[in-house]
Amino acid sequence: MNARSRALAGLLAVCFAAPVSAQTLTLPRKPGSVRFLVIGDTGTGDPLEYAVGKEISLYYKVFPFPFAIMLGDNIYGSERPQDFDNKFIKPYQPLLDAKVEFNATLGNHDDPNQRFYKPFNFGGNRYRTFKKGNVRFFVLDSNYLDPDQLKWLEKELSTSGSDWKIAYFHHPLYTTASRGPELEVRKVLEPLLLKYGVDVVFSGHEHVYERLKPQKGIYYFTAGGPAKLRDHDTHPVTLTDVTFDTDRSFMLVEIAGKDLYFQTISRTGTIVDKGVLHRLVHKPLPADTLKATKPVH
Amino acid sequence: MAGHAGARCGSTALLLAAALVGCAKRERVDPTAAPIADFNQRVDQYVKLRNHLADSLGKIDETKSQAEIAARSTALANAISAARASAKQGDIFTVEVAAVFATLIKEEFRRRADSIKETRVEQEQEHRTDGLPDFLPKVNQIYPTNYPLVTFPPTLLPLLPKLPESVEYRLMGHHLFLRDIEANLVVDVMPNAVP
Repeated sequence: MNARSRALAGLLAVCFAAPVSAQTLTLPRKPGSVRFLVIGDTGTGDPLEYAVGKEISLYYKVFPFPFAIMLGDNIYGSERPQDFDNKFIKPYQPLLDAKVEFNATLGNHDDPNQRFYKPFNFGGNRYRTFKKGNVRFFVLDSNYLDPDQLKWLEKELSTSGSDWKIAYFHHPLYTTASRGPELEVRKVLEPLLLKYGVDVVFSGHEHVYERLKPQKGIYYFTAGGPAKLRDHDTHPVTLTDVTFDTDRSFMLVEIAGKDLYFQTISRTGTIVDKGVLHRLVHKPLPADTLKATKPVH
Repeated sequence: MAGHAGARCGSTALLLAAALVGCAKRERVDPTAAPIADFNQRVDQYVKLRNHLADSLGKIDETKSQAEIAARSTALANAISAARASAKQGDIFTVEVAAVFATLIKEEFRRRADSIKETRVEQEQEHRTDGLPDFLPKVNQIYPTNYPLVTFPPTLLPLLPKLPESVEYRLMGHHLFLRDIEANLVVDVMPNAVP
């Protein structure tokens, strides 16, 4: 299929996919589950960011999530006070009013001083960890992975003790989008993620949605499409299970026991992906044994 | 006689061996040590100055007010720029340490796989897709917030001298620069440091 045909097919898919009401939810809403929103590359302040924000608010009514994770590029361009209003506060005002806790990471378009901006919950740190229920989140600064950060990560991973370990950072280690995976970051980070049994990784940077096949036992999502879009930018190969690159999208996630349920929704309310992942049993590998592994993409 | 001669020979041999060991020890002196020690000292001097100025502005805490964060960043940048009004390119990246850095960087880049080199180019050119031209950062310049901060190669960072937490290495195109994180200020520049 050539690029034009793909573009047409994508357009038709967006136009004719039956929009669902805000009540159409595939997530089970199990008692005691960990529920959250996943958004990345959001800070444009343009009408499409607001449109996605509105759709998220509708879903919030049927799937109230106490917190959100932000995958970086939280504020594009200038970072004046009015930019924070227009590119973050206003698009997500209903969620902020409902006391949803936003947990941001730094993207390459973000001033690291965002770590002092309380609504992003950095706690003054460029990288950090927090726990929700049986899930431990590792929030990394993939712009500047210095030895201190890697040492910190290893210490935190080795003492985590949580059932689920989820890492999120801006640059994807695996992607089929045209800019390609961040191989330098993968080289230093992947051995630690594998050694300590990280289950899921969320990244942004690429303005598309991708659900990748597990790579060496880790589930990867790219979710950088809630505001910016790189139209038809994914190149589905054996690496991916699902891609969506014809409109903006966001993810809702629910973790209950050993299951992670997810639902990915477009700006217009179309469900573009859904499913459940089971926590894989990790047999920790010594990092040295991973050096010989070949990159998949 | 023969015993004395043998002992003399033995002593001479020991002295020679000791001299050779001494020479070998001298030869093993790391030629990069002095320039890097000098670099560290210059960075420390900078940090001492900027910390003093930062302290005079008061500690920054988490706040809901971006106006407060931006005002502090600007005030710190202004204070540092004023205190270092005569600072010029090469004050910290001296010629001597620049030569050491250039070798380290060149060797690290040479060892990279072609696939990594390709993604590096993508990273470095991202600002161009937004229509933003390359530029050579200048000492005391505020780093423009409309430019992305290129991921610093994580495999290179451990090879460079460790910096205090208020300062970081950054790249703009082929240029390496030191950036004061809170002030978002260019501290020094090493042009064409990266292949």
